[in-house]
Amino acid sequence: MTTPTKKVREVGVDLQESEENRAIIEAVEADNADCAVRHMPGLVRITTPGRLVINRTSVESRLGRDWETHEFQLAIVSYFGHIAEWDDDQIVIQWDH
Amino acid sequence: MTATPRKLSMKQRYAALTRDLDWDLSYVDPAEAFPYTTFEGITVHDWSQWEDPFRLTIDAYTKYQAEKDKRLYAVLDSFAQSQGHLQLADPRYLNAMKLFLQGVTPLEYAAHRNFAFLARFLNGPGPRFAALCQCEDEIRHAQTEIHTLSNYNKYYGGMHNWHAQHDRVWYLSVPKSYFDDALSAGPFEFLIAIGFSFEYLLTNLLFVPFMSGASFNGDLPTMTFGFSAQSDESRHMTLGLEAIKFLLEQDAGNVPIIQDWIDKWFWRGYRVTSLVAQMLDYMLPRKVMSWKEAFELYFEQQMLGGLFPDLSYYGIKPPRHVSQAMAEKDVLSHQVYWTLYQFSFAAAFTTTIPDEEHLDWLSAQYPDTFDRYYRPLWDKARRVVDSGGRFFYQGLPQLCQVCQIPMLFSEPGDPAMLCQRHSVYRGERYDFCSDGCQWIFDREPEKYVQAWLPVHQIYQGDCGGPTVPDVLAWYGLAEGDSGEYEGSVEQADWKRWHASPAERS
Amino acid sequence: MAVRAVGDYDFPSRSRQELYGDDQLVHLWWRNNMWFCAAACFRAPKAMTWGDFRAGMVDPLFSCDPDFGPRTRFEWSVDDQPVTRADSQTLAELGVGHKSLIACRSLG
Repeated sequence: MTTPTKKVREVGVDLQESEENRAIIEAVEADNADCAVRHMPGLVRITTPGRLVINRTSVESRLGRDWETHEFQLAIVSYFGHIAEWDDDQIVIQWDH
Repeated sequence: MTATPRKLSMKQRYAALTRDLDWDLSYVDPAEAFPYTTFEGITVHDWSQWEDPFRLTIDAYTKYQAEKDKRLYAVLDSFAQSQGHLQLADPRYLNAMKLFLQGVTPLEYAAHRNFAFLARFLNGPGPRFAALCQCEDEIRHAQTEIHTLSNYNKYYGGMHNWHAQHDRVWYLSVPKSYFDDALSAGPFEFLIAIGFSFEYLLTNLLFVPFMSGASFNGDLPTMTFGFSAQSDESRHMTLGLEAIKFLLEQDAGNVPIIQDWIDKWFWRGYRVTSLVAQMLDYMLPRKVMSWKEAFELYFEQQMLGGLFPDLSYYGIKPPRHVSQAMAEKDVLSHQVYWTLYQFSFAAAFTTTIPDEEHLDWLSAQYPDTFDRYYRPLWDKARRVVDSGGRFFYQGLPQLCQVCQIPMLFSEPGDPAMLCQRHSVYRGERYDFCSDGCQWIFDREPEKYVQAWLPVHQIYQGDCGGPTVPDVLAWYGLAEGDSGEYEGSVEQADWKRWHASPAERS
Repeated sequence: MAVRAVGDYDFPSRSRQELYGDDQLVHLWWRNNMWFCAAACFRAPKAMTWGDFRAGMVDPLFSCDPDFGPRTRFEWSVDDQPVTRADSQTLAELGVGHKSLIACRSLG
């Protein structure tokens, strides 16, 4: 007897659509295999099942300069899920339970 | 040979500059230094379990907040310099922002004060620091909202006296009393009321409609303010979610207390969002989405579908009376704007009958209710105008003791019948708009008997005098602030500013 | 005491009847007319006659509805109890107390 698969709830982040954030959006797309990116007026919504990760090095390689994860604060509009981790190299958004 | 200095990780640096600056009090009893964190019945065993995922220290905080302000003020200057106030879709749009300045901006200030209180009186250094950052954020929001809208104040009415009006005007007692209720509760209830129920559960329902409305209607400064503040809001959402999870995890005895607070504060906050519902459906010349759509997306899907399954792990259930809120989707905005239409002679904004295109949009968005219950009212209002009149309510309305909104809401299941509920406490009758508000009163009657209800205060002679003109003068309304939009000062100004040279001569 | 508080928490109602002297707040509700967004709240003397209440408060408000006229007939109730009135009866005699709900349903 198979156990029914639990529906994996989506997590996501809304970012301001701006020149500077292009690198972040591209980094998130590259690092999160199943993510969906939607463009709405002035903002970009990125959603993915279960877990979303933003990697500093991934952003830096696309931005062409050093970037600290604190700078993500200038980009974010909203998020859904739980910020599970935020350190020098990575930000992780997922649901706890 | 010099050693390379070791760099602390973000996590270590954050701990060193916040929590590790704390110390155990040896010269005063902690219970005296922190006298407010036991009376609510909440138990905290270990304050160090509070998590702050943003890990901002004061230097990073000020650096990034300054950057946000620079970017915002550049846009505000550019807008003012380019005569941006003439580029609105329609001047009627500004009624939404008058309501925002009068009703929401003072709440930012109130939040700032209460988070300052938490920054002193919570026992743990982690939450104290988080509260301090939010306190700074909220005063920033109050200030930037005022600056953002100040340019419009040079050209349009309704914005010049928001601060006094928040304390005096009938519809503004709705948001004011909501925050006063939270401010006069204990620190933990405030955290659940505002930090969680407002800043997480309901924040998108309040914020996104106003900011999207700005974007769609040519209000560049407000839209830019919205983006600028939203990044702060993501920290607020985090604090709210952390507050509830921390308290639920600290002791099983906290669970029923928190459930009660969620039940109360969802309903109180939801009633305040009635003002957003009418704004979305009636005040925006260019529509973003209907209230029904916004409620379904920002509350039903994201909260009931996303957040509450997460909280069920702790035994938390969706808010009591949530099904009533869901059932009201099809009627709420219509009932509220119909009320504002007939009372705007006493408001610091104007109202008007929706035109045919707007009425058709409402029919399409609300196929089950609009044509049956509300279009006939607007058609009749139009007949009154066509015969030279304008319907204004000749009297004062019955107010709900708890939410303080006129009792305009309908009986569940019957949009044609007003909902009337009442309780008797110590021999006096109190009236409520709904089961939700009655439940809130019945669990804490000692608090709500003290409500400063505008209509009752007018009748007690506390509002400037016995006549309507006395009260309106006390409200500090200027010519053109109130009443009907058609034929208003604002409409005349707009036509003159946009007139061609031939039209002007 | 239901409210959890630091210290004593016992305050009087801000709208208790004694603050209105010989007057009361009364609510007026035309049940089956959506034209009026909510019931009205009036301040009226306990000794006010029904006739004066009708002429001085009810009719001016109801006249805001263009379909209201002298021929409109009503069934009246006070706090959900049906009442028959004579114009000379006082509100107090009719059972109207502080914050009572005077409701009517228009017929025909």
